[in-house]
Amino acid sequence: MFDASRNGGFNPDAPPAPWISLGWIQGFTRAAAGKSGAVMTGIPAAPMEQVRESLDAEVSFQFLAWNKLTMALATGSQHMNLLAPSPAPGGAQVMPAVSIQSGSTANSILLAPADAAAFTAGSMIAVDVDYAGQTGFVASPVSGAYVRQPLNDVDYIRRVTFNVALVSQVTQTGLVLAEPLPGGVPAASAKAQALCGFIDRLGGSFCQEWSGLFLMEGSQGERIFFYYPRLQTMRDAEEMPVPLAPRGKGSLERIVLKAQFRALPVTDPIDGERVLCYRSFLPAPKALV
Amino acid sequence: MQNAKDSFYMALRSRLAVINPERTIVLRGAVRPGILVEEAEAPFSQPPADVFVIRWLGLGADVNLDAALVAAECEIIYQTCGCQSFGGLDRGRALSAMDEEMLSILQPFSTPKLSFIATPPAPMLTQVFWDEPAFGPVVTQRDRLSRSVKVMVYSYQEQGE
Repeated sequence: MFDASRNGGFNPDAPPAPWISLGWIQGFTRAAAGKSGAVMTGIPAAPMEQVRESLDAEVSFQFLAWNKLTMALATGSQHMNLLAPSPAPGGAQVMPAVSIQSGSTANSILLAPADAAAFTAGSMIAVDVDYAGQTGFVASPVSGAYVRQPLNDVDYIRRVTFNVALVSQVTQTGLVLAEPLPGGVPAASAKAQALCGFIDRLGGSFCQEWSGLFLMEGSQGERIFFYYPRLQTMRDAEEMPVPLAPRGKGSLERIVLKAQFRALPVTDPIDGERVLCYRSFLPAPKALV
Repeated sequence: MQNAKDSFYMALRSRLAVINPERTIVLRGAVRPGILVEEAEAPFSQPPADVFVIRWLGLGADVNLDAALVAAECEIIYQTCGCQSFGGLDRGRALSAMDEEMLSILQPFSTPKLSFIATPPAPMLTQVFWDEPAFGPVVTQRDRLSRSVKVMVYSYQEQGE
């Protein structure tokens, strides 16, 4: 649960754990689709009181930046990593995963010298365990897929994991990461594998669920938060071009990711009410309330 | 944005040296490819003929991104009187040749961003890129034909810029 009273003053570029900043968005729109009905009584009938008949809400916006998480949130299906192809002809189809040595951290992956030499600064890696034929939800730190029947792909979990990062430096003892792994310290049995990009599919049956926290910051320091404890994507992957320069100044465009979510309810632990979203307002310092 | 402006100029300059090595200018005693940055040279009352003159105009920034995107409007001016041996009657052809060179040196529409603070220049992480050029009409002033081209040049601000 996000508590604006405790955490409302955070730096938007470095939100408190477990939140991850996804940068600026545009076109933020909330649409409450819940319905109220009137209880009619008397002759002629007149509304005596109102009741809430349904609870439903949607939120839509556009991500300005493309990365693993924004792409995954904006797609309506499973999101995967493109594992780097093997340069060896006739061998394995992808670069083989390498074992991680003990003592690794979220920012530093220790490897055997021969394994470290296979990576270069600027490459991307996926860190997770081998797939061993299990079914159900797989990958960390959040589930990347739901396996309904056993698969024949030892790299499958690293194909779907969200535990990815950019390598900033390669040393004789391992890899220094430009950003911490979302999953923190790698598991003892985790392996590192090179990836070259990301992919999603139009179709599939896996539907990811997220928590969303949206911040609007005013010029005087006031803040409005919209906290959605449960959000599920409700549209397939879609993009939108936005002109880079004002009209008549050029023809280049930026491609933004369109995202639309349905809010799902949670039970408020304070009073047991079912809610979809919390809106908090922190006034500007010394502003009259 | 200075690294982007420098990289843009050096890209155009090296491309021009390949496309037409004969288009040169003598500046401060040195023979250089025939393209210069107006703000980096001594002021002149009239731009020199048969060379490309880069002039930087407007500036804009989009800071709502992981790395701020900066856009600078660039105007490239060139003019010619044709050659003396033809009495200037080839000035239209000379301007057409410069039009073609201009279009050629602008392609591809990107170049690696370099920092020219040190020697040799240090490669940076991003690319400088620009829009398709907008060619202005020919302006005739006595025996001189001139044209200006406007290009929006974009660059992501990197750490330390």
